[in-house]
Amino acid sequence: MIKKKRLLLTAMIVAMTAVTACSNNSGTNNNTEAGTNSGGNGNQAATTTEQSKVQEKVTFSVFNAAGAAKDINSNETTIGKLLEEQTGVNFKMEHLVGDINTKIGTMIASNDYPDLLIPDAAIDKVIDAGAFIPLNDLIDKFGPNIKRVYGPYMNQMKAADGNIYFIPFSNVVGEYIPSPSIDQGAFWVQRRVLKEAGYPKIKTLDEYFDMVKNYVEKHKDENLTGFISLTHDWRFFATSNPPMHLAGFPNDGNVTIDMSTFDAKVYADKDSTKKWLQKLNDVNAQGLFDKSSFVDNYDQYLAKLTSGKVVGFFDYGWQVGNATNALKDAGNDDLRYFPLPVTFDANTKDQYLDPPGFTSNRGIGITVSAKDPERIMQFLDNLLTDENQILSNWGIKGETYEVDENGRFYRTEEQIAKIDESFRETFGFKYFEWNWPKYGNGSSLPDGNSVAPGRQAEVFQMSLTEGDKTILEKYGAKTYADLFAAPDDRPWFPAWSFSKEQGSDAQIWETKKDELTKKYFPKLVLAKPEEFESMWTEYLDQFSKLDTAAYEKWTTDEVKKRIELAQTK
Amino acid sequence: MAKEASPGIQTTTPKPQTSHIPLFFKKLVQQRVLLLMSAPFLIWLFIFKYLPLWGWTIAFQDFKPAKSFSDQKWVGFEHFKMLFQDEKFIQVLRNTLAMSTINLVLGFVTAIVLALLLNELRFVLFKRLVQTVSYLPHFISWVVAANIIATALSPDNGIVNELLMWLGVIKEPILFLGIPEYFWGINGLSEVWKNVGWNTIVYLAAMTMIDPAQYEAAEIDGAGRIQRIWHITLPGIKPVIIVLLIMNIGYLLESGFEPQYLLGNGMNVDYSENLDIFVLKYGIAMGNFSLSVAAGMFKTVISFILLFAANYTAKRMGESRLF
Repeated sequence: MIKKKRLLLTAMIVAMTAVTACSNNSGTNNNTEAGTNSGGNGNQAATTTEQSKVQEKVTFSVFNAAGAAKDINSNETTIGKLLEEQTGVNFKMEHLVGDINTKIGTMIASNDYPDLLIPDAAIDKVIDAGAFIPLNDLIDKFGPNIKRVYGPYMNQMKAADGNIYFIPFSNVVGEYIPSPSIDQGAFWVQRRVLKEAGYPKIKTLDEYFDMVKNYVEKHKDENLTGFISLTHDWRFFATSNPPMHLAGFPNDGNVTIDMSTFDAKVYADKDSTKKWLQKLNDVNAQGLFDKSSFVDNYDQYLAKLTSGKVVGFFDYGWQVGNATNALKDAGNDDLRYFPLPVTFDANTKDQYLDPPGFTSNRGIGITVSAKDPERIMQFLDNLLTDENQILSNWGIKGETYEVDENGRFYRTEEQIAKIDESFRETFGFKYFEWNWPKYGNGSSLPDGNSVAPGRQAEVFQMSLTEGDKTILEKYGAKTYADLFAAPDDRPWFPAWSFSKEQGSDAQIWETKKDELTKKYFPKLVLAKPEEFESMWTEYLDQFSKLDTAAYEKWTTDEVKKRIELAQTK
Repeated sequence: MAKEASPGIQTTTPKPQTSHIPLFFKKLVQQRVLLLMSAPFLIWLFIFKYLPLWGWTIAFQDFKPAKSFSDQKWVGFEHFKMLFQDEKFIQVLRNTLAMSTINLVLGFVTAIVLALLLNELRFVLFKRLVQTVSYLPHFISWVVAANIIATALSPDNGIVNELLMWLGVIKEPILFLGIPEYFWGINGLSEVWKNVGWNTIVYLAAMTMIDPAQYEAAEIDGAGRIQRIWHITLPGIKPVIIVLLIMNIGYLLESGFEPQYLLGNGMNVDYSENLDIFVLKYGIAMGNFSLSVAAGMFKTVISFILLFAANYTAKRMGESRLF
């Protein structure tokens, strides 16, 4: 009986705590609601006082799904602090950790967004969910600089309903300055290979692989890998894009676009892809290809590149930056990689370099949760003055850059040494040089200086190591870009940036095509050489089930639309 | 407790029941404390398990997150059709069932065997050590575990390949994760490695409930170790095994998500892609929440059927069961 009573007592206690816990919860809920309400009122107050020219300090939130960096308040950085002094706006910056679709999907499902959102690849989803507010009126009222910078592209920025929902990152302002280093696609090879071969001019894919083969065979005891390829997850394009480049086209994604008819053609089932895969198959049969390419993840891939055991690979410069920078810091010039503009045959003009383009499916937008869109728009517009573009790219005169007697910007050696990764964080370059409305890659200021320090000849020369200078000299080039052909004008570029509606036929085609290539490319490359043909037929058979003609037609229409817009501007 | 309580209740129940209704209320009043006690949990159950069922309506709409309920477009069974007609669906379902069956069988056998072995150990320190070591992998996140597994199976310097080469079993390193047919096995063994220790806990607990007198009696009767395990320990934990089995059969469509997602790649996709990954790819990643909900409903219904079937079978066989 005593036991029973004790049991009852415990039961009562449990029940009581549960009840009190519940009431506590509702209490806090009320509190937070009241909190946000008063916050909202506070902001309204802010806008009214603003009219009386008193800029009250506010903090907005921004979520960046495009870049990985520490979460921070923008006014904790030097640049952000200066911008706060100008506008009174501070941003609580958050960055993506984990899977972008999960994160953005959660925001959509809960209908709870940060004030500003940079949704990167998930932008179609966000627009589809109606999470961005139309910006047309705000730009009219508060965006003189936005109008100036994006002027020719204002029509392209409009969605089908005529509203502008987000501001793409960049449009080239002023004279176009090409990048001196290769941040786009190239076939890379270790410098020691070129050195040993006597710095030959490598033009074709055959020459490239012959050179790799020779080197690996001569150095049998070093346990070298001839060629690896990145295949992990969405980065698979590093393995599926080369046919396009080898045939002399820039990165238009899934299609190549004929320069006279402007017809878009999918190349994944064409001869160019077959030739590329057959070459890899061949290379694999010779034991030069790293089979784990098809199971390694991105980190393992970078680790292999950094190990110095890999002779060659194809990839985009921006994607292997972590590895190439580490190799540069390590200081062994022989193990660093050198970019080569390789094509199928020597007569094809390479088009690895990006033409000036307008990426219209990435950008920054103000969400429906934003408390004060006007202030935010003013902040964004304020970023696009010449002064602030200098601030966010070059920094502060005398501190992070100098000006010579001709008005040219440059950096001293100490300044270059000072600006390392942690400095870029505290100063704020890391947070402001990209992902915000800005003058596009290759823009220049009215006085002829490059907006991006990396493209200023003075800075580039300064950043070259002795090894860099030697190898460039051997090839008679001043910059890496000199080795590549100049890009032709392509007003639609890049075709991969044409925005697609959620669940549209074009989007489903892309998903299915990705799945198919991810499944068959490994089989084709690792097959026994005599089985390649039959495997290719099987692949084509599967590929023919996709409605490729419709996808091509859709892309062609989009391309022509953009050409027309470019002509009318 | 139960032994003490039941006579107490029996004595307070009035003699032969005259009508059911008054008796019901009488009991209600008598057991009011017990009822009060369970009320918070019933409320919890209702809020967290039953209210969300409202969300099933999404499966029948072309759901757009920002719109209100009345603005959604209703499409009937369109998404279910899409799900069942997709040619990959059968493959994905096969992979799901195959992998969870493998996990179920391997998981049960290994956990029970390990528990029996541990139970026989008399040297306590060693027993503790084995237990701790075998629990450890359970606490590693799958992301880390998958990297460990991928590294161990790697053709360049992976320990498995090195070992097999050294033993002379194979001449060339094998690309384990690149051979689709191996995936189910790799997945099953990874699950075992990760969870075997953890799964033994409940069996070890069940074993401590067995009356030691039975062992003594068996020993006097001349039963050996194996015979004691076979005739006393195993029958002793049989009810636990059966209840766990029934519950796990209900989860047969949940073959896990993380290991398949993290270890899967383009080469083994035909064997690694399960229902959850399919839903992620074609539902959530493409913003098609309706398809995801439809797949979720399908899973729930099948799990329900499986659970009841298993329970019914157990009942028929005269075994202990869930309900």
